[in-house]
Amino acid sequence: METTEKLVQTWMASGREEEIEEIVSDIEHDRTSLTDVVKALGEYLTAEDSNVLQKGVELLSLIVAKCPTGKLNKQSVRVLTAFFCGKLDDMVTVKPALHGIATLVSLPTISPAEVTLIIEGIFQHVKMRALVQDIRFKVFSIIDTLMAYHRDVLKSYGRRFLDGYIPLAEGEKDPRNLMVAFAIARVLIIEFDISEHVESMFNILFCYFPITFRPPPNDRYGISSLDLKLALRNCLNATPAFGPLAIPVFLEKLSATSRATKRDTLQTLVTCLPVYGSALARVWARKLWNALKLEIFQPVDPETEEEALKATQALVKTIYADEEEAMESNEDMHGLARDACEECIQILKEPEKSQAKPATKVLCTFLSTTPSVAKYAISQAIPHLNQLFRNPDEASARTATLFLLTEMIKATRDSAAKATETNSALSPYKDDLLAVLTVGLKSQSTRNIALSGLNALCSATGLLSDEEYGYVVHNASELLERSREELDESSDLLIELLKTISDIAPRHVVEQTLPILFSSLPDSAPARTDGPGREKCWQILSAVAKLCTQAELFENLVIRLTTKLDLLCFPSSEQVAAIAADPEPSAAYAHMILKALYQALASKAIMKHVDIAKYLDRLVPSLFNVFVSSAFLSEERPMVASEPRLIEVAGQIINLVVQSVPLQKQQLYAASLSQALLEGDVRSIAYGFQKVATTRSLSIFNEANTPAQRNILHLLASAVIALHKEARLSLTNVDAFLDMLIGWTLTVADNDLQKLSALHIVSSIVNRQVDELLSFLNNKLELFQAAEICNQSLSLDRRRWAIKAWTWLTKALLVRKHALAMSFTEPLYERFNDEAIAWDAAKAIGEIPAADKVLTKANHADVKILYVQRYVGVVLPRLIAFSKDGENPTKQTASLVALTSLIKSIPKAAYAHEIPSLIPLLLRGLELPDSEIRSNIIDTLLVAAEGESPEKSLVAEHSTTLVNTMLKNSKVQDMPSSRVRISALRYLAILPSIVKYEVLHPYKATLLRELAVVLDDPKRSVRKEAVIARSVLFP
Amino acid sequence: MRDEVFNPNPVVFSAPKASGRQSDLLAHSLWVNDSPSSDDEADDLEPIDQDEIYDLIRSIYDPEHPNTLEELRVVSAPQITVGTNRIKVEFTPTVPHCGMSTLIGLCIRVRLLRSLPERFKVDIFLKPGSHQSEMAVNKQLNDKERVAAALENPVLLDTVEKCLSNVDGHELDHA
Repeated sequence: METTEKLVQTWMASGREEEIEEIVSDIEHDRTSLTDVVKALGEYLTAEDSNVLQKGVELLSLIVAKCPTGKLNKQSVRVLTAFFCGKLDDMVTVKPALHGIATLVSLPTISPAEVTLIIEGIFQHVKMRALVQDIRFKVFSIIDTLMAYHRDVLKSYGRRFLDGYIPLAEGEKDPRNLMVAFAIARVLIIEFDISEHVESMFNILFCYFPITFRPPPNDRYGISSLDLKLALRNCLNATPAFGPLAIPVFLEKLSATSRATKRDTLQTLVTCLPVYGSALARVWARKLWNALKLEIFQPVDPETEEEALKATQALVKTIYADEEEAMESNEDMHGLARDACEECIQILKEPEKSQAKPATKVLCTFLSTTPSVAKYAISQAIPHLNQLFRNPDEASARTATLFLLTEMIKATRDSAAKATETNSALSPYKDDLLAVLTVGLKSQSTRNIALSGLNALCSATGLLSDEEYGYVVHNASELLERSREELDESSDLLIELLKTISDIAPRHVVEQTLPILFSSLPDSAPARTDGPGREKCWQILSAVAKLCTQAELFENLVIRLTTKLDLLCFPSSEQVAAIAADPEPSAAYAHMILKALYQALASKAIMKHVDIAKYLDRLVPSLFNVFVSSAFLSEERPMVASEPRLIEVAGQIINLVVQSVPLQKQQLYAASLSQALLEGDVRSIAYGFQKVATTRSLSIFNEANTPAQRNILHLLASAVIALHKEARLSLTNVDAFLDMLIGWTLTVADNDLQKLSALHIVSSIVNRQVDELLSFLNNKLELFQAAEICNQSLSLDRRRWAIKAWTWLTKALLVRKHALAMSFTEPLYERFNDEAIAWDAAKAIGEIPAADKVLTKANHADVKILYVQRYVGVVLPRLIAFSKDGENPTKQTASLVALTSLIKSIPKAAYAHEIPSLIPLLLRGLELPDSEIRSNIIDTLLVAAEGESPEKSLVAEHSTTLVNTMLKNSKVQDMPSSRVRISALRYLAILPSIVKYEVLHPYKATLLRELAVVLDDPKRSVRKEAVIARSVLFP
Repeated sequence: MRDEVFNPNPVVFSAPKASGRQSDLLAHSLWVNDSPSSDDEADDLEPIDQDEIYDLIRSIYDPEHPNTLEELRVVSAPQITVGTNRIKVEFTPTVPHCGMSTLIGLCIRVRLLRSLPERFKVDIFLKPGSHQSEMAVNKQLNDKERVAAALENPVLLDTVEKCLSNVDGHELDHA
């Protein structure tokens, strides 16, 4: 008791937090009690001096706030409530008193009697207008809490509560308080009987509509205009009683000029109309429609138009939702829907006029209201448009008519898709529609629209019958036979239409369309001089590639194209001599065919089609068959399929198929692959038309063999890199196999294709089996680099490939974040001093984290996230330090090379924090003679410039250097590479947008003069960039 | 500056797909290429041709409408002839009484002035018979002094800049 007294006295003098803490902890540990506190406070609570009185009440409220709930029993709550309520009438003590009450109302021990006391106290004594925001906020919070926990007590007050509350809420302006007030108001409207207070509630709510509040910049309360709008909207649509009062307000606000107000009003209408009910909506229908019509037919912007359409939809839905059962025929349709439809149809009599589009939009929104309205709208619009199309006097408006019809069809289809019902509304008209649209197909001007209309019609579920799909396909296929020039613009739409149908009724496309397309592909390649012929082949092939992704179609495609490929690669005896003399045109044609297959497969892979896997038994063996046979036969005569470019595309195809094969099948396939790789037995993977493939054995790794056979490694590698971790090649000694592959790469292999294929196999095996290969890797770390990379007696080319091999080993480790990856980069830094291969080592540093097509998730490689960031975190600071170190110029230059190559291959986010220190280094790198490095640097500078502004520019201080260097790099006399010239010009074009005009002004004349010279560059693409760079300089 | 709209409702044509330039199609290589830029480093000469001039002027905006000259078919590739150091551009106004013709011509002239090497002489004409005062417009457009005088007028220059705010699909941002 004495300590409490002392503490109270100290606090009265100091106002420190510590004393309160102490008192509270004393209460908690029963060393003192609230009663003691009140006793100790005694003199202060009755003091005459208002300052002392205020402090006294404040201390009590602070202690109550901190006091553990258990210590506040019913008795003390009652006493405290009475006390605080007694202090409400005094302006001096109202703040701490409310603070105390706010604590008390959230206690479970408070009883209805106290609640009544509090409410009476607040209603009687609190004068909101005289209080500041945070105290008013307390009042709202108290009522909000009571509303949450003691709603019944408040309800028992009946209208007296509303009488008391409305004056409190009136005139509130602060958004923080309004958020609470709106929440209270919604409960009041919904749960309390407001019948006698509708008008006053309406007044205290609609005075805020529409919300024009805009939060101040850096607002720390985080209340947005949208929060307020939604909270208010929830009050406005809380009762139908507001309806008659609200609609005139909405109509008035709608005619306001502010777009934000219009949009807010429209959105509010959408939520309010269904609540206000159909009777009211019907009364106001005409006036609302007139106002909405204005926003639709003369929209201020597309968003407002969209909202107005939604509001119209809500209006129609509200009016007709109840009468749905009563509607039996279109004759029963009365009122707004009928009038509005008639109005729109009237406008549609001139479909080419600009008002026709909004009229169609209105009709389209009617389609997703109620079924009967939709039916009515369709029955009015579609026959009308059909008739218009057939009318010879209106022939000039056919395009517009078809456009509107297509919009209607699309809207019907989409509304039906939402309601998950069949498109029955359109079915009475489908014959007419089909007829009109197919007529549209015949003429050039209406063809595109007709195609998209048909597409919409065909994609409407359950509308067309199988025969009708056949009819559409028939008409579409007829188009394919027309000349290419005529079809030019429609061919994409045509393919799209056929694709839509192929998902529903593939048979028709297979039977009617594919024969036409395939028969127009020649069996033998167009002659070397026949450019247009080749162009046509490629167009047909890319069309079939786009079209044939559905399972049945794709199967057809594979059969047709592999047959064609076989014919091309193994020509009949009379053609053999001619083709062997010049195999290139045939090879180019075969290349196109393989490309088309690849494209179709790639789009199937994106859509994750399951039927891809089965082509491991069909497409893949025949590809192997073609290429292996050709490799054998090429010993006798030049073969079409021994061309490496063909092998590359075939590899891509094989890779995609093997990727999608499930694990179990992959395991079997891995065994066959091992046989082919190790023993040269290709019988189980290369069966097909050509017998030679299965009668001889392939020996890729035999030095005495032909390069053509060695190229086959690429196909095998494409399959191997896509194998799961668990589907392994059957190797007795993995270390030895990998060593053999690396050795073969460095000594035997003849071209990049073979070398990279071998390294890809090595890399993917290391990536999957690293834990069993630690001794192999450590051995490499110790010996390989000394024996191969550092060995100056070896040829430069061999040392370069040794670095490549090293890069691939490191990649395999890095993507799975293996600890060894970082030790593998160390030897590369050491090579920075070795002038012969410094640049290769430096570029390798950059290539290691670059994305590739081998170690990917799709290929089932072990790839961990954020491996790039980890690598960059270690490597980038080192490279920056090296590049700044001027003592060793060779190393410094190599570091610059490494830096540019690294930055090129990583995302901007990974190095964004280093940009300020990188820019001077990059500018130095621009002095390097290598044009690839230069264009990489300029591209990096371009990327770094994104998000820069003249006010905050990192390059402003370097502008002299930048302007001069870029100008030099943009002239054909100084810079032979057009890629660098283009990049330099692009940079000059963005410079004015990232550097202040004052900084650039001195260079303007020079730039204009020098760029005028670049306008005469021999390359078109360079001239184009020069035009842009020069145009931005004009005012 | 102008309160009369000469053609309130012009026909807007959809821009044709970039079908590649004629010369490219003919010189197509045997092989289908994934990256068309790979032959970039080859040092063959690509002289300025009619497609290139067309690329320069087709993105000019019409002074009256938010459409480009290409969309309104005011200019087209066949209406351009290119000589060694001489270029002739012909354009078609949307209506014969179009008072904007001179302005359109001026925009074409300024665009070409800025985008072509100085060695070229450019002649700009209306399509014969397409305009009421064809002679007068032609004369104005090809008179060096009159063009220079027109560009001294700040209001006019501002309008021209607005029409030229797009270069071949590249929106210019005059900060």
